[in-house]
Amino acid sequence: MPLTEADAGRYARHASVAAVGAEGQARLRAARVQVVGAGGEAGPALLCLAQAGVGALYLDDEADVGPEDAPGWLYGPERLGELRLLAALEPLRRTGGPLRVRPHGTGVDLSAALIFAGTRGIALLAADRARLAALPHVVVEPRGEGGRVVSVPAGAPCYRCAGRPVLGGPPAPGAAAAAGLLGALELLLILADALPPPGEGRCLELGPAGPQARATVRRSGCACGRPPA
Amino acid sequence: MGRTLRESTALVYGAGALGGAACLVLASAGLGRLVVVDQGAVEPADLSGQPLFGDADLGRRWVEATADRLGVLFPGLRVEARDERPEAALDPALLAGAGVVADCTGRFSAMFPVNDAAVAAGRPLVHASAVGLTAHLLTVVPGSTGCLRCLFEGPPPPGAVPGPAQAGLFGPLAAFAGALAGREALRLLAGEPPALAGRLLAYEARSARSRSLPVNRRPGCAGCAAAAPPGGSP
Repeated sequence: MPLTEADAGRYARHASVAAVGAEGQARLRAARVQVVGAGGEAGPALLCLAQAGVGALYLDDEADVGPEDAPGWLYGPERLGELRLLAALEPLRRTGGPLRVRPHGTGVDLSAALIFAGTRGIALLAADRARLAALPHVVVEPRGEGGRVVSVPAGAPCYRCAGRPVLGGPPAPGAAAAAGLLGALELLLILADALPPPGEGRCLELGPAGPQARATVRRSGCACGRPPA
Repeated sequence: MGRTLRESTALVYGAGALGGAACLVLASAGLGRLVVVDQGAVEPADLSGQPLFGDADLGRRWVEATADRLGVLFPGLRVEARDERPEAALDPALLAGAGVVADCTGRFSAMFPVNDAAVAAGRPLVHASAVGLTAHLLTVVPGSTGCLRCLFEGPPPPGAVPGPAQAGLFGPLAAFAGALAGREALRLLAGEPPALAGRLLAYEARSARSRSLPVNRRPGCAGCAAAAPPGGSP
């Protein structure tokens, strides 16, 4: 789907980035991204995806806006108590552009998934589901001075291959936002086909001195290495 | 020292993607007062990166749109919007009233004057910039670490270094860098050791590679020569 004239103006700076170009921006325009988790930690990433020109966002969250979510990037204090799934619609649509925002995404031909899971169990479930659907996906785990971002392009070693996260305390002020934005950035680069080489997964540890990345290596016998049934 | 975040003031130069993200990080943490300085009106290309802007802000002044959205999200935050060029808003009284200064202008024409003014005022400064898919951050603690002029004596000749107009700017990368700048500013306001003091961090998003370059005080640096002694938070 080529960019419209309005899109071309809006995303001119993106199209001027050699690795992205108009083609990459058009891929973002066509992308349908499921975001698991719409709490305060996901707010910065959700806004980022919306403003970057993703075509559609499908939100998957069952909780209400709580004190840990508001006030924040997405929710003002007036949103306390509202279902996050619905409270996020207005601030995301406010960004304008070609974005469509919908709940869930079941039955939709998705392009990718961005996962903010409150627990490792939920993260594994969501990541496995994305892998089985052959979706590129990124898992964001905010903690301490930043956290971990696991990037899984289609066919790359999976989230389980990245190993268990190092234990850490709750995210320091501002750290969750940085981790979430790093996760959104990774997913957008995958969707825009701007990453070299294709198919390489990576794990980014975000600390005080910035991100430190390593390639993920497929564990022997992992289900992600078996051909689909 | 001993001042709570609610009692603190941050001075942010730049209301684009870098500055917007930095302001949101500071506001989300409970900052009491924020001064935002920039001059310009929201254009379509601004909507791909500044997290506080939406379609309804087209044509509005950057700092007004920034302040209004922050007011909706964070009613307890006092925001002072100054619609002027950063390089013209460097009066010592303004800087003296801030616990930390963030340069999120991303423009050489503003970076060096802001650097010089913050160093002269003895105010800790966080520089953030981004172009293409690369971001840079540097924290300056006047009287203790090197400053921007210790690293680059002055701005490059016009056209010598490609900026966003030539090499583009991926909005999400700028927002990420702005968030890191906001996080560093919070450390400084809390009296914690800054992570990037005297170090230039360069992050290239395609390779996900971070490089860190020490920035030592250079004898004869014009910026450091005017440094006030490091001061406590106002």
